[in-house]
Amino acid sequence: MPAASFDGALLVGAITALLAAVLAAITTRMRATGATAARVRHGASARALGAIGGVLAAAAAMRALAGADVQALEWWPGFPTQPFTLGLDALAAPFVLLLGLVSAVSFAAHASHGRGGHERLALHAGFVLALLVALVARHGVLFLLAWEGMTLLSAALVASDPTSARARRATYVYLAMSQVGAALIAGALLSLGARGGWTLEAMATAFATLSPGEASTLAWCLTAGFAVKLGLVPLQGWLPLAHPEAPAPVSAVLSGAMVSAGLYGMMRFAWQLPGSPPADWGTVLLVAGVVTALVGSVYAAVEPDAKRLLAWSTVKHSGLLAMALGLAALLHAAAQPALARVALAAAFMHAIGHGLAKAAAFLSVGEVAHVVGSRDLEQWGGLARRMPRAGVAAMVSVLALAGLPALSCFAGEWLLLQALLHGYSAGAGQLRLLAPFAVAGLTLATALALAACAKLLGVGFLGRPRSALADAAREQDPLVSAALLVAAALAVVAGLGAPQLLALLERPLASMLPSAPSDGLSAASALALTVAGASASPVGAAVSVALFSGVAVLLARLGRVRSAPRTAPSWTCGAPVAPRSQYSAHAFARPLRLLFEPVLRSGEDTATLQEGERYAPRRTHVRSGDARLLERPLLAPLVQSVLFVSEQARRLQSGQLHLYLAYLLITLVALLVWGRG
Amino acid sequence: MSGVLLTVGQTLLIVALAPLWPGVVAALKARLQMRRGAPVLQRYRDLARLAGKETVISDDASWLARLAPAVALGCAITAASWTPVLLAREASGLTGDLLLTVGVLAALRLVLALLAMECGTSFGGMAASRHLALSALAEPALILSGFTVAMAASSTDLGRISGAIVASPAAWMSPSHLLALAAMAMVAIAELGRVPVDNPATHLELTMIHEGLVLDLSGRHLLLVSWASYIRQLVLLTLVLHLFLPWGIAASPSAAGLALALVAWLAKLAALALAVAVLESVTAKMRLFRVPEFLGLAFLLSLLALASDALMR
Repeated sequence: MPAASFDGALLVGAITALLAAVLAAITTRMRATGATAARVRHGASARALGAIGGVLAAAAAMRALAGADVQALEWWPGFPTQPFTLGLDALAAPFVLLLGLVSAVSFAAHASHGRGGHERLALHAGFVLALLVALVARHGVLFLLAWEGMTLLSAALVASDPTSARARRATYVYLAMSQVGAALIAGALLSLGARGGWTLEAMATAFATLSPGEASTLAWCLTAGFAVKLGLVPLQGWLPLAHPEAPAPVSAVLSGAMVSAGLYGMMRFAWQLPGSPPADWGTVLLVAGVVTALVGSVYAAVEPDAKRLLAWSTVKHSGLLAMALGLAALLHAAAQPALARVALAAAFMHAIGHGLAKAAAFLSVGEVAHVVGSRDLEQWGGLARRMPRAGVAAMVSVLALAGLPALSCFAGEWLLLQALLHGYSAGAGQLRLLAPFAVAGLTLATALALAACAKLLGVGFLGRPRSALADAAREQDPLVSAALLVAAALAVVAGLGAPQLLALLERPLASMLPSAPSDGLSAASALALTVAGASASPVGAAVSVALFSGVAVLLARLGRVRSAPRTAPSWTCGAPVAPRSQYSAHAFARPLRLLFEPVLRSGEDTATLQEGERYAPRRTHVRSGDARLLERPLLAPLVQSVLFVSEQARRLQSGQLHLYLAYLLITLVALLVWGRG
Repeated sequence: MSGVLLTVGQTLLIVALAPLWPGVVAALKARLQMRRGAPVLQRYRDLARLAGKETVISDDASWLARLAPAVALGCAITAASWTPVLLAREASGLTGDLLLTVGVLAALRLVLALLAMECGTSFGGMAASRHLALSALAEPALILSGFTVAMAASSTDLGRISGAIVASPAAWMSPSHLLALAAMAMVAIAELGRVPVDNPATHLELTMIHEGLVLDLSGRHLLLVSWASYIRQLVLLTLVLHLFLPWGIAASPSAAGLALALVAWLAKLAALALAVAVLESVTAKMRLFRVPEFLGLAFLLSLLALASDALMR
């Protein structure tokens, strides 16, 4: 078999396996009356097929990164004119790699809990399939269909808990915002396709024939549409509502892979197809990215809901992705291709690093939330002992999200800071003004994220259980626990192997910046990232910390006492040791809540001691921050005008038949007059 | 080979001298306040005493409590091994730059905060919460002021930054450098846990920040964590000295240069100890709620330093 068709077969195999997973889950559902054992087996086969599909997609992406161009595969006669084609080019490959890995672990960790498990599994597989097709589509209409399918299937998953009013509201907001975004994308792509053709190449040609004004309008429409998926301020409102409501494996794909599909869309349709991004695009993205990163990290720091905390952290990391992309565009416009390459590499690295870490975090935190029966951190506690494997996975992945060295999010942030530093030194126009604020925002957001992560781990996993269910929590499915550990291991591998990962991104970077010299990032050492003389070695940091920790243990054993540590009850100043003597999640976040009160407007938290309470109040009233505060001034006029128009439209619908007949008559007469005139 | 030896030597120097600096400050402070005070080597005696004590951990603690103290010391020594002490030399492939050093110190902070929450007591949680909230303001100021000097060297490599400042003494007097130094000094006071931000000698749990983190530790674990804190302090001090006032640091590894560098480093540390002792004797600790203002000022100063660098070019 020739190599090219082998690569194509990998992609087709991935799609077929995902399709088979959907079918397997659906047929299990249809045989629901059969024996339970058969249902479980079919659930397992659907999960296995989905995981195989993910692995095949990742393998195809690795081949594409290594230099094999996966041929465009004609798949269907197509609509309206050209055939639907699928192909995996250099730009799509990093995103497909991320999606493949994230979806594989998410299927492995998809234990079908409770009723409707098989429907959820089918939707999950369908959602991943749509996402994959959106990334490999080489035809505008196919892309739009897959994009819409991805939104609708994931919305169904967000709404999958029929009893939750919160989930219904989240689905509503998610659908409303996504459809506005999709309408912008569809409008731009359809008007492009109508001019030249529907393949990506034809669209690029069509872009070239447009006047600069038209081209930049289209590029801005596309950018706004994809910014919704990325969750940039002021379009972030749906993300912290919708991502936590889905089942944990789906949250992992939503935050791990779908957010970066928004980045892919911006790179592909607003940068690569027009040849270069429109003027001021970089400035807008950089500013929006800084604001988004700050908003996400502040809300994550004060959020008491474990899964929503992770969703806010996704908002923060989306901000970093937008910053990196905007910085790359600014440097590209300022004729600094080597630095633009560093910034773009930061975007790719961060998309992959954050995707893997966030998937592992959502899977492990979601599993714990399922076992404890609550997402509220005030009900958790002591879970690292009770669920050690989920605890380790959560610990590793959340520390990675905090951007600690040698874990997966560090390399992207390091490259971004290097690009900011050198871009500022190079003195590129607006960057002189923007870079100090961008550095300040980035470091503040990172430091706040550290506090948020410490809250999630410290309150949720350490200390004493705060509820009976948390006390009784035990690991359930060994396969799920193993999948969690694999997911966390991926985040570690991506962190330690950051220099190798960077070397793999050679072709995607070249496809975005054909003019950039490839030695701008001298990855001279296989063990370190190097930019302009400064190097950071994740492996070096990890080995050094491990080595010196070992030395520390040995030194400590030289002491006169050689016995193992003794355990004893905690000392709480003579008061009875109770779960409520611990610091709560709200209390932990209080200094930061007070500090950012002007932004959060959360309202004062009140706690009064009542009769019979000696040390801790039984009830504390806290109104947590209103996350929609920021979007309200921007979106309120829009919402008002939509409501006004729909109110007017409703007046036409009186429900009286003769009035509707009159409308028909009026329309007919109007058409006749227009037709003759 | 000599490079490896020198790195090991510098690291050992920081690790060995780390408990001395707080002892010197305490002794100077005692003299200023007309007390006799504890001997300069008291911190070493405390550590030796801890080595002989039994280690007790809470019933509620997880596997993290057994692992974290050693990891904390590992992080601290790692940061120490990357810090230029005697020689402003470009880092080799396996070491870290300014950002990685800050990252490793952040890891140390996070590990200590998590360790404090292991016992499920109020004081541990309170100290962790305050520590992280204040660091959330201090760390951006630290990186921003570091960036201001990194700009002059056009690199975040620690050795290159020191070398660049030694090479062009005139740049030292630039407003951006002085503003960054002021911001860095304020951050260092906060990160060292010194008056007016925190009182290392406090005995009142409600006002503790750094001491509160280690309240529930004992024996061997307290030994490791205390030593890690001392090393972290000396690393921060050395960074302040060598990124902003690097005179005396050797540019090439000659015996005379290294000896001079050692003397200069110790003299500057002694001067800083005296400054801190005087400052602690004449000021009172500020209220916790006012500390964010203090650190916010440091943050603004560092931002101003970076922005004025743009204007002055």
